[in-house]
Amino acid sequence: MYHKTLPYRIFNIVNTCFLLAVALMCVIPLIHVLAVSFSAKSAADGNLVGLWPVDFSTVAYEKTIDNPVFLHSLWVAVKRTVIGTAGILVVACLAAYPLSKENAQFRGRSVYAWVFVFTMIFNGGLVPFYIVIQSLHLIDSFWVLVLPGLVNVWLIILLMNFFRGVPKELEEAALIDGAGHLGILARVYLPVSLPALATLGLFAMVWHWNSWFDGLLYLSNKQDYPLATYLQTVIVSRDMSSMSFSKQEFDLLSQKTINAAQIFIGALPVLIVYPFLQKFFVKGLVMGSVKE
Amino acid sequence: MRYLRRTWPFHLMILPALALLIVFNYIPMGGIVMAFQDYKPWLHISGSEWIGLDNFRALFEREDSLQVIWNTFLISVFKIVFNLLTPFAFAILLNEVRARFLGRTIQTLVYLPHFLSWVILGGILVEFLSSDGGFVNRVLHELFGIKPIFFLGDGNWFRFTVVVSEVWKEFGYGTIVFLAALANINPSLYEAAEMDGASRWRQTLHITIPSLVPMAIVVGTLSLGNILNAGFDQIFNLYNSLVMDKGDIIDTFVYRTAINDGQFGFATAVGLFKSVISMVLIVISYRLAYKLANYRVF
Amino acid sequence: MKAMTRKSALAAAALMLAATGLAACSGSKDEEGSSSPSSASSPSASASASASATESAYKDKYDPPVTITTVWGVDPALKFKNGETIENNVATKWALDTLGIKIDSLWSVTDTNNAFVTKMRLAMSSSQKLPDVVTIGTGGDYDQLAQDLIDTGAFREVGSLFDQYANEKWKAAMNLDPNVWNPYTRDGKRMGIPVLDYAYNHDYLLWIRQDWLDKLHLEAPKTLEELEKVMDAFKNQNPDGLKPNQVIPLSIGFKTTMNTWMGDPSWVFGAYGTIPDQWNKAADGSLEWGSINPAAKQALQKLKEWRDKGYIPSEAALWDENKTSEPAVAGTAGIIPGPYWMSGWPLQDTAKNVPGAVWKPYAIPTGPDGKAGRHGTNFTSGVTLINKNMEHPEALFTYQNYLFENLADPQPGSQWDIGVFKGYDYDLDANGNPVYLDKIPGGEVNINRYWLVKDGARIPDAQMKALLKLADGNEPTTRLEKEVKNNYGPETPAAAKVLLSQPDISYKDMFTGPATPTMTSKQDYLKKIEMQTFNEIIYGKKDLSAFDKFVSDWKAAGGDKMTQEVNDWYKSTQSQ
Repeated sequence: MYHKTLPYRIFNIVNTCFLLAVALMCVIPLIHVLAVSFSAKSAADGNLVGLWPVDFSTVAYEKTIDNPVFLHSLWVAVKRTVIGTAGILVVACLAAYPLSKENAQFRGRSVYAWVFVFTMIFNGGLVPFYIVIQSLHLIDSFWVLVLPGLVNVWLIILLMNFFRGVPKELEEAALIDGAGHLGILARVYLPVSLPALATLGLFAMVWHWNSWFDGLLYLSNKQDYPLATYLQTVIVSRDMSSMSFSKQEFDLLSQKTINAAQIFIGALPVLIVYPFLQKFFVKGLVMGSVKE
Repeated sequence: MRYLRRTWPFHLMILPALALLIVFNYIPMGGIVMAFQDYKPWLHISGSEWIGLDNFRALFEREDSLQVIWNTFLISVFKIVFNLLTPFAFAILLNEVRARFLGRTIQTLVYLPHFLSWVILGGILVEFLSSDGGFVNRVLHELFGIKPIFFLGDGNWFRFTVVVSEVWKEFGYGTIVFLAALANINPSLYEAAEMDGASRWRQTLHITIPSLVPMAIVVGTLSLGNILNAGFDQIFNLYNSLVMDKGDIIDTFVYRTAINDGQFGFATAVGLFKSVISMVLIVISYRLAYKLANYRVF
Repeated sequence: MKAMTRKSALAAAALMLAATGLAACSGSKDEEGSSSPSSASSPSASASASASATESAYKDKYDPPVTITTVWGVDPALKFKNGETIENNVATKWALDTLGIKIDSLWSVTDTNNAFVTKMRLAMSSSQKLPDVVTIGTGGDYDQLAQDLIDTGAFREVGSLFDQYANEKWKAAMNLDPNVWNPYTRDGKRMGIPVLDYAYNHDYLLWIRQDWLDKLHLEAPKTLEELEKVMDAFKNQNPDGLKPNQVIPLSIGFKTTMNTWMGDPSWVFGAYGTIPDQWNKAADGSLEWGSINPAAKQALQKLKEWRDKGYIPSEAALWDENKTSEPAVAGTAGIIPGPYWMSGWPLQDTAKNVPGAVWKPYAIPTGPDGKAGRHGTNFTSGVTLINKNMEHPEALFTYQNYLFENLADPQPGSQWDIGVFKGYDYDLDANGNPVYLDKIPGGEVNINRYWLVKDGARIPDAQMKALLKLADGNEPTTRLEKEVKNNYGPETPAAAKVLLSQPDISYKDMFTGPATPTMTSKQDYLKKIEMQTFNEIIYGKKDLSAFDKFVSDWKAAGGDKMTQEVNDWYKSTQSQ
């Protein structure tokens, strides 16, 4: 057993320490940002915060959360993420399955594949896209957040490559049992592709949760904004050389703490979900099902 | 006819994705013609003046055009390579961590930086990399006696910093794909190797790495679509007058010239130029992968 | 009513409205607009004014109401209460009730990350209806959008309307600086009404740590030479005991430009007789790009010297405006250039980090020849455009005249003296005394952003006048005076006085027109070689002679052509 040998044990210890060090390097800036988000404005503006809050304060979070729109935007974000992610997964599974077949089995698959990939590289820009959105009457509709992003070619190709790893024996056995393609997809492919689906789901979720530009542009009512769009409106970023001030604006000028708090409010739900998704990274799913 | 009867479910399954792509991607692609127009929003595409290749000329005729394109290419190539290799290597190393809890914790921590924005990171990096008592320079000085390096104010170091900080931010996120691929490796392969008395190093060399290569080819090929996107948000927040010659990229240049002036035509032309280059590279690498590794990327 | 002068008629109307809440006065205006003393009136403007067929349309109140359509870029910081929106709020209700003007919103967007400009362009691209009235800000992308909108041809010449309908107060405010029309003048026609803003908002002065000066027994510097002595003392004999490498005597930065609003280095150039990164009036009366003036060479030499001695941040080339304020707030910087309102933000936080820290405003020091200079602020914060197809363009003037009369500088005892909308920008306590800000039930909202035209009505010099009055130790009496006292930092009146002690050193960017062809194609490159050369000189990577090469490169690479175009434009605005 290799992992009982001395060299491997040494390697394992060194390796683990190395990875922990790398992880630490990734976390330190975040701890700094967290500290800033809980610091007083004066300390943050003076760049006096290190890894621990100076003059502990939750004002940045209060300012962000204490708005009647906040809770609603949270709800919109959950709605778009759940519906959007589910939609992406369904569309991706349906498309990736036939694309994963051999050319001999599904003539024309290469044409489809290129038609898909082409859209990853070429696009007509914002203007014609907006006109399409407008003529579909999607402006100010919740569905503008979901429909245009339903097809994620990158994820489809990823899934397609995972599907190719599914042993053909499984599929043939099911075919003999008289199952249709939808049945094979649901009963053979999906159960053994849990790590892939978890990955896809995570990517789709993070994308949906963080998207803000569509909300800002296609929704005119602040009440309809998803969280990410709402957070963009909390921070007042503008060209100072062309504005005049009121008292309220002075208070909002210092964005450092709010900016920092926003990161955590925005990332927290995704961070909570991640450990649960890790459970799906189970080794040997494919093999296990062959043995059955 | 028999053939059709056999594949019609396939076509049907692809249909939803295809229909959505036509509506939201292919129809708007008509806007690409703006690249050949002096597009004025109020005249629409139908009424704007056709100016042939003038927009492309504007991209290439500037004194610094070639330099900017070269900067973009150089920075993005390094980013693509290291954004591929780092997660690849990291996933393999992470896979060796025996303590499950520790492995999962590390996995979670390294993907956190993905959520930081470059606006915030820009401020942190200026501080962290300062040549005037910044953390990194202090460490380099204490440990190796190196003179302070002006990471963000020297052209070559700027490129280096941009690539390293991008990889630092994104490798954890990129690792996830490879972890999923690792989970898909058939355990019986390892069991057989174990029987043969193969060391872990040999197992890694002959089982793990080859199993991950297809995924690496796929991710690598697709990332060629970004060959001329060197990372607008990052460069925009980090660059400054001292490194303009070596740090200015196509996107920042377009931002300064076109977006401010509402030159949609010019911006579209630059986008089209980038797309064509990406397309050519993707086709080449698709062919190579098929010829050399007999692997169809998509 | 007809016997009364126009001004008193309006005032009377306003009083009556205020007293009764009824619009009793609906008599049509006399056609006397053309007799205005406006110096800005152009021949073509008065020609079209006399040709106007809608001359009797102006009313103080419209019955039945008229509709003005508009679009909104909503300030992200703007709050609403009582479930109101930008489309439907206390100000739109007021306009309908008092003036018979219904404000109809075509669309609105929260204006962050450039959303308004993008949405406006998309609206044009997708053939959406353009609004009757739209106000576009200035700076960044707004300037170009305003020019593009004028180019659409959908908006009308407004100069004649202004001459005809604007009231005296508005005209007087507009006449404070006749140049305000320049950006929106095409072939002598005034195509947009400038939105006036308070003057000097971004003129700057030097903020200096008075407690440090006092402890070192130093006088505030009046010349660059004295300034150097102060900086040296701040650095090497720091009164707070900071080590030399911990102190930033002068916090400035030039990440993207040499001419900005805080931590700005342009006064160093001013001390030698030029302002960089803007168009200045040269000795011969033509316009000149300030960065190529030989004076810039001397300034660069000075900046290099200061960097070598550690007077300015060693990484100033990486520092943007907000970064320059960090050491000032932290208490490690001794001097920072910035606007007169900086004691309100961010400098009031310094004392929280370093007890006893005191910032005082001082005049811009002079150079070896006694010259001094800083960049000036234009009086405008935007432009209002009027659609060609608008049925009642004069209704906009009904609206704006009312605000200039009542809102711009309300005098004691007038209708809006204590506040505009009860429960919004003020409220009354149990004793009937006005209360403001947090004491208003449900909090204050900035109703100035609810008006059809940004900030309602502002008279450029009103705020400075109010501040000067306070600086002289007078108690605030008018609302504006009370407002500046409450809203701005403690040193603001004094700073305003310092600022106005040097009115002649303020140089505005003289080019405010639409981008010229060479500007569009070359300016970015020219700016790039400029900033690169300047920084390389300051950082000692190139010696001073690089400046001369830059100037000749600049001219050859399109600079001369651009200068020519700029001067052609300038002449066209002067000749009207």
